[in-house]
Amino acid sequence: MRKLGWAQGHSTGTFGLLLPWLFTFALFWLYPLAHSAFLSLTDYNPLTGAFRLVGLRHYARLFSDPDFLLALKNTCIFVIGTVPVTTAFALFLALGVNRKLPLRGLFRAGYFVPTLTATVVVALLFVHLYAQGGYLHTLASMLGLAEADRGLLLSEKTALLSVMVMDIWVSAGYYMLLFLAALQQVPQDLYAQAELCGASAWQKLRFVTLPLIKQITLYVVLINTIKSFQIFTEIFVMTQGGPVGATSTVVYFVYREGFEKFRMGYASAGAYVLFFVILLISIVQARFFGFFRRADS
Amino acid sequence: MIGNGSHTIGRARWPDRIIWLGLFLILLLMIAPFVWMFVVSLSREVFWTPSGKDWLPGGWSLRNFGDLFSVLPFGRYFFNSAFVAVAVTGANIVFCFLVGYAFARRTFPLKRTAFFSVLAVLMVPAYVLIIPLFILINKLGWYDTYLALIVPFAVNPLGIVLVRQYVSGFPRDLEYAAEVDGAGALRIIFGIIMPICRPVLAVLAIQVFWLNWNSFLFPFIFTDQNVRTLPVALAMFRGYQAVDWPHLFAAASLATVPVIVLFLFFQRHIISGLTAGAVKG
Repeated sequence: MRKLGWAQGHSTGTFGLLLPWLFTFALFWLYPLAHSAFLSLTDYNPLTGAFRLVGLRHYARLFSDPDFLLALKNTCIFVIGTVPVTTAFALFLALGVNRKLPLRGLFRAGYFVPTLTATVVVALLFVHLYAQGGYLHTLASMLGLAEADRGLLLSEKTALLSVMVMDIWVSAGYYMLLFLAALQQVPQDLYAQAELCGASAWQKLRFVTLPLIKQITLYVVLINTIKSFQIFTEIFVMTQGGPVGATSTVVYFVYREGFEKFRMGYASAGAYVLFFVILLISIVQARFFGFFRRADS
Repeated sequence: MIGNGSHTIGRARWPDRIIWLGLFLILLLMIAPFVWMFVVSLSREVFWTPSGKDWLPGGWSLRNFGDLFSVLPFGRYFFNSAFVAVAVTGANIVFCFLVGYAFARRTFPLKRTAFFSVLAVLMVPAYVLIIPLFILINKLGWYDTYLALIVPFAVNPLGIVLVRQYVSGFPRDLEYAAEVDGAGALRIIFGIIMPICRPVLAVLAIQVFWLNWNSFLFPFIFTDQNVRTLPVALAMFRGYQAVDWPHLFAAASLATVPVIVLFLFFQRHIISGLTAGAVKG
């Protein structure tokens, strides 16, 4: 009976409905992921199309390649340096605009503008500000943080840090919105109750707000970590990995090896290492937060 | 609400003022670079560079913006960006809707596995796939064509999740009633379900358009001169000339204005698109 169709799970053309995803998943996710794994075991040359199997040699070589190790180190510094600061800053902004203050709508929108803008645009803007004589370079020089005769991106000491500062500036607004959405779901009477019990502002934050936004904090840390490990655009536009590799990152290394030196097998091995690092850290982070959640309740 | 109101009156007044001042200073910090970008883009001193003595370029005019279209090929880049973003957005509206609908309403073998593939992909760092994707695009003969910038991005997994969540919230009576009235599967999908999904599809559309308009890495490795998009052109512009900041910033403004306008009109949609995956999931 047609009438019963829905109850039993109507199936006319279900395959057709799913087809766009099956096609995309197979061709643009699964196949590249598998192909990449295979490539990493070969010395595929994109110019000739020729390749030989080299086994796990690329992986062994990566860990004695100073360029890769430096890129990995820079990437880790970038992630460890930016993620906690961005998270704290974003939470601070969210707590601020969540208060009933005049113009808070304007603040919220304004903080979001850097995130809204293309990374390339922001990166170019900071190239200008960080250049010798640019506003931020002048400011940093006055504070004694920069060499007066060299732009911030041209000094090994300040280049990576400058990119990190920019990244925090850009992404805080984005994570602020995520925190804000969670804060707005915290029931207001909890605060009223806490106030009745004589809780201070700090105690309200520590014992009411923070436990209730643990879930979103995990999400923020997780996606920011995944995103930050893949930093490329900023590096490409601002420093090209320089000076002397001081800002080279793993994805930038993959790009250089694959598209400039045409060593796509080796580059794929580098990409795969990054893939596993990200996977591992995501799992660890999820466990870590999950553990605390269970201990609390 | 009441809790917050009551403490603005009492002891929290001074802290609030200090916080407000802090937030205001941060606002200036966030906006000032963009104001600066617009200011420089209006200057005709093409080879002005910032230096200790020269704080501000001179020679104000809007002609840099005209140059982008007459002297420089930015009209073409702008068109490419717009065309690709619109096409990808359109494709996502239709495809994410169909797939999301199937996950919400249909039963089929391996449904859990299939949905897991959607969630798993959300966790895959896409940038590690640049090399196999580049090879694939070349094998398909799509290098430097619109297809390379549209087809791989036509079904956003997050869109599928959003639509599935939204459709699951509706009572099935809608479809039962329509079917009793003799409506076929296509009529039900496009005539009944799709219109009521308009809010979630709007969220999806704006999100996809925004991300696509700003995207750099994939357009950068998939294209050459022919279908180069604005962000790629901006990054390249810096590469092969002594930096002509006024024109570069005029082009950067051109790339920025559409997303700012989009945000001003659809702020709610953008925010709910960003938070949809987070708060409920």
